[in-house]
Amino acid sequence: MKNKINKSEGLIKKTPAYIILIITLLIILVFSVLYAVTIGSTKIPFNDVYGVVFHKLFDTGNPEIYGSGPLHDIVYYIRLPRLILAVAVGMGLAVCGVVMQAIVKNPLADPYILGVSSGASLGATLAVMLGIGTVFGSNSIGIMGCLGAFGISIMVLILANVGGRSNSVKLLLAGMALSSVCSAFSSFIVYFAHDKEGMMTISYWLMGSLAGAKWENIVVIFPLVVICVLFFTTQSRVLNLMLLGDEVSITLGTDLHKYRNFYLLVASLMIGFIVYCSGMIGFVGLIVPHVVRIIVGTDHKKLIPVSALAGSILLVWADVMCRVIIPKNELPIGILISIIGAPCFIYLMIKKTYGFGGKE
Amino acid sequence: MNIKANNVDITLGSAHILKSISIMAQNKKFVGIIGPNGSGKSTLLKCIYRVLKPESGAIYIDDTEINKMSYKESAKKMAVVSQHNFYNFDFTIEEVVLMGRSPHKKTMERDNAEDYRIVNECLEKVGMENFKGRSFSTLSGGEQQRIILARALAQQTECIILDEPTNHLDIKYQLQLLDIVKSLNLTVISAIHDLNIAAMYCDYLYAVKNGQVVYQGTVEEILTPKIIKELYEVDSEVVRNKFGQLHVTYYPKHILEV
Repeated sequence: MKNKINKSEGLIKKTPAYIILIITLLIILVFSVLYAVTIGSTKIPFNDVYGVVFHKLFDTGNPEIYGSGPLHDIVYYIRLPRLILAVAVGMGLAVCGVVMQAIVKNPLADPYILGVSSGASLGATLAVMLGIGTVFGSNSIGIMGCLGAFGISIMVLILANVGGRSNSVKLLLAGMALSSVCSAFSSFIVYFAHDKEGMMTISYWLMGSLAGAKWENIVVIFPLVVICVLFFTTQSRVLNLMLLGDEVSITLGTDLHKYRNFYLLVASLMIGFIVYCSGMIGFVGLIVPHVVRIIVGTDHKKLIPVSALAGSILLVWADVMCRVIIPKNELPIGILISIIGAPCFIYLMIKKTYGFGGKE
Repeated sequence: MNIKANNVDITLGSAHILKSISIMAQNKKFVGIIGPNGSGKSTLLKCIYRVLKPESGAIYIDDTEINKMSYKESAKKMAVVSQHNFYNFDFTIEEVVLMGRSPHKKTMERDNAEDYRIVNECLEKVGMENFKGRSFSTLSGGEQQRIILARALAQQTECIILDEPTNHLDIKYQLQLLDIVKSLNLTVISAIHDLNIAAMYCDYLYAVKNGQVVYQGTVEEILTPKIIKELYEVDSEVVRNKFGQLHVTYYPKHILEV
């Protein structure tokens, strides 16, 4: 018995601390999802929720109760897709935040920094006010938002590469300039449309929500986000070099130019899909990378996987809170994350000696 | 390993910075480049370490033209310590030095025990082995430059380029850093603006002005009041100390006018 304990201690000692952290977070994430599925505006007994889940997974239980009917629909068509979407969106936003901060070499960056947010809102505005994109069917706002976000990222990338190689400052400036153009166009359309209801629709959409989760979207976005996140975990060395800048990277054998463009493309793809599924959920992509840096440091080898899991956990719980905090009503998730997240972030900022890169 | 710059020409904006400049660093020699601010010292070094591309002329490492090498290959042959490095993000010292291993790594390759051994060895060489877990931004300027030197050493190159790395450092740290470099017995090309430092460490000097080499030779040949006057437009006297080292003292205008 004693031997066994020693052995396991040795195992823990040998494994790097961040691997233990990742495993712990993974377990927390799984339990969070398992617990969150039992919470909702409709009270459903614990047993029944898992009855449905196990019926779906292992084909157990009574198919008449668990395989169809309102109980089955609430758990399988409303709660589960929402939670899985929360996992994907949280993971995607957090990792995109990390990657964007590396690409523009600036700790203030978030996934929406390079014009993505204004591109998305222009797309949404076009859809709502002018009815462009109705060919896409019921989720035309989401699709137009996604196209706007992705389109602007590509334009930023092209613009930053005109007249010589892009660098982080050119990317930021191109992003800001295109961002202004897009917001101006959105405001122009809103101003002349005189459509109060439309304005409400747009601003609700921009607040972000996971309520629109559907299995047919999830089967696309979930694998996409996971693959992109896995891709970025393999790129930790280049992401680290990005923070040192172009000149130093060249002397260390890596020309960042092509990597930067490619990463931006991958990140934009991810963000486009996230915007399509959930609108704009702010703050996750900014706060999660910083909180994780306080814990594991700047090395992307640890930062990317830990951020991915932390983002997922945060979003799962944020979504649960949204649904239960005001009875019979749902708070937009973006609002909740900012209301609770920002003060927590400020607290961490004050308490920990986290330099944000600057000198302490 | 020999490093050679052949008739390098570069124009930045409207300024013709380097005018067909040629230098050569022989195997295991410490070569200094001196000259006033704006003479093109740093630009020349940037061409050599590939941050700038010369318009004409070429850089050779042991007879291989550098443009024919990948960045990874050239980073395995020469390492660079440049002027003060400031980062927007905070890495630990071990992480910074570990990045020196990146030219030896494939994109997806993990760091192995050998890499960590090399990192430790390099930290020992610069006398910073006890600082491993500290974060880079909490170090003093002198310590930071030693870490950057350790990162360059982790590249395990035969040549090291110093782009005025001792700027802003106290004399203690200037000497400490250059002593470490000197003791490693590598091919070194260094831009230096303190002539006394150049006298202490260099085997060969190039005097650069307006993008051209105006004089080249040993320390004794170059550090003369006449050449110093021509390069920097100041009056000076060159004396020898008790070890036989050359020492330059300058005469400011207010003394000469008396």
